[in-house]
Amino acid sequence: MKDLADFKYVLDESTIVVITDPKGIITYANDNFCQISKYSREEIIGQDHCKLNSGHHDKVYIQNLWETIMAGKIWRGQMKNKAKDGSYYWIDMTIIPFFNDDGTPREYVAIRTDITRIKESEEALTQSLKEVSNYKFALDASSIVAIADRKGIIKYANDNFCKISKYRREELLGKDHRLIRSGYHPKTFIKNLWDTITAGRIWKGEMKNKAKDGTYYWVDTTIVPFLDEDGMPFQYLAIRSDITDRKKSEEELIKYSKALADKNTQLVDFCNIVSHNLRAPLVNISMLVDYIEQSEVLEDKVEALGKVKPVVNHLMEIFNELVESLQVKQDTTVKLDKVRPQASLDKVLIGFESQIGQYGAVITSDFNSAPFIYCPQKYLESIFTNLVSNALKYKSPNRNPQITIKTKDLGNAVLLSVKDNGLGINLNVHQKNLFKIRKTFHKHPDAKGFGLFMTKTQVEAIDGKIWAESIPDEGSTFFIEFKKPPR
Amino acid sequence: MNKTKKLTIIDDDETFIYLTQKTIEQTNLVKLIKIFGNGLDAIEFLTENKGKEDVLPEIILLDLSMPIMDGWQFLDAFTNLNPKIGKKITIYICSSSISPDDIEKAKTISAVTDYIIKPITKDKLIEMIARL
Repeated sequence: MKDLADFKYVLDESTIVVITDPKGIITYANDNFCQISKYSREEIIGQDHCKLNSGHHDKVYIQNLWETIMAGKIWRGQMKNKAKDGSYYWIDMTIIPFFNDDGTPREYVAIRTDITRIKESEEALTQSLKEVSNYKFALDASSIVAIADRKGIIKYANDNFCKISKYRREELLGKDHRLIRSGYHPKTFIKNLWDTITAGRIWKGEMKNKAKDGTYYWVDTTIVPFLDEDGMPFQYLAIRSDITDRKKSEEELIKYSKALADKNTQLVDFCNIVSHNLRAPLVNISMLVDYIEQSEVLEDKVEALGKVKPVVNHLMEIFNELVESLQVKQDTTVKLDKVRPQASLDKVLIGFESQIGQYGAVITSDFNSAPFIYCPQKYLESIFTNLVSNALKYKSPNRNPQITIKTKDLGNAVLLSVKDNGLGINLNVHQKNLFKIRKTFHKHPDAKGFGLFMTKTQVEAIDGKIWAESIPDEGSTFFIEFKKPPR
Repeated sequence: MNKTKKLTIIDDDETFIYLTQKTIEQTNLVKLIKIFGNGLDAIEFLTENKGKEDVLPEIILLDLSMPIMDGWQFLDAFTNLNPKIGKKITIYICSSSISPDDIEKAKTISAVTDYIIKPITKDKLIEMIARL
């Protein structure tokens, strides 16, 4: 009997114990039961056990319980009960039925443990899982989603990713992410991306990618590294949204605004030409005429009259130059010839033969890096004529002219350079006027200030660039960048 | 009227120089006219003769569009030189440019007394010189 009492003591201390009669009326409740149910023993003894029902479980569950114990079997399960104050608690319960000798149920002993904490965690977990699955659903519905492993191999691709990249899912999974690389972004851009995510940080940016059919699309991209227990990324989640339309509009806008700025600069230049260069000879004529009218001495009148003609000639000359440059500007549909610069140069140099001989000039050329230039042939000849003519005209008095003409392949453009060892130009002073009409930088009787202006006009008409480097008394190098036509 | 004034024209326009010279000679207002075809020659002359009141001009007619060193560049150099020059020199910009940009820019340069748009009449020329 002592042993039995010990068992009861252990049971009462460690678990919740309730005993009911065959009708479910509580006949015994231990301290642990009172504590968890918040009822005092007096309040609960004699009460129906269904007072504790939480309403959480369906009828079938309860019915199954009763059927089990009434059949004399032990029932095990979890149950949510209601405490006196209306709060709920979860218990893990074992109900053992005891029977009279005639086989009718005598009482049911329920041994329970409190699993409220575990159930709460379980519920929170279920809730979280549901939320996560909702988030995933929302993400898949709204965005282009891909997961890649630490080497960049695609492990997951959602429908939107397949749709925009035009690949089937099987074609994407297991492939290196570089499959959709467009080649548009510089190496430093890609390196920055990898440096960021391999360091475990989130990368955000706009990327141009290539679809299966070779077309390009732009995506706003966020790459989130997933870190293992050591803080090392083990996979990368990329969330993208299609911004191709916006990018296209942006590119168009930049293109138009650049074209507009160029046109505006040309307009300002043209206004300056009219204001400075055309007005000056007109003013001269006007002043000469006034002088002739007002002068009382015949000799003075005759002398002044003799000065009108050169001014008129000068006006004509400027006017013709302007018309010539305007024709280049208006020639909007210039056809690009695929020209061999060597052939154009050879042709141009024939015209300089006597000067080259007279000055002992040495002209070397190397077009091996880029043997072709895309430019109207007449423009290239005119460009060579102007640059070679300048190099000879502004030679140093101290040395024989040396002119080196080269091309260099820049990938999407060809760079032509014409280098001389002549007088050079102080670009600190003359940079802004270098290519302006009627601007000269040396005291030379043949300096007109038209050659470089015309060259720039022609280069810009074919969307090229021109600039110069120079050191006074050492020489000048003129650079022209010719675009290659799109393949 | 005292004929003690020295006038300098900085201009590459031969017709303008010829006519201005002729007109000024008729007025008897100026003792000496010096001509420079660009800003650099003029600034070199002024630098060499700084402090020499009897050599330096009282008045400069300055063109804007010139080779080698234009009017604006001359004004930059002149502004640097001015404190060491030791004489008040009145500068008129005489340009055929009617560009509002040029006219506005001239107003911001303290060394410039006025901006005269060519053509310049005989009366205007006399007024400018006599005002001194």
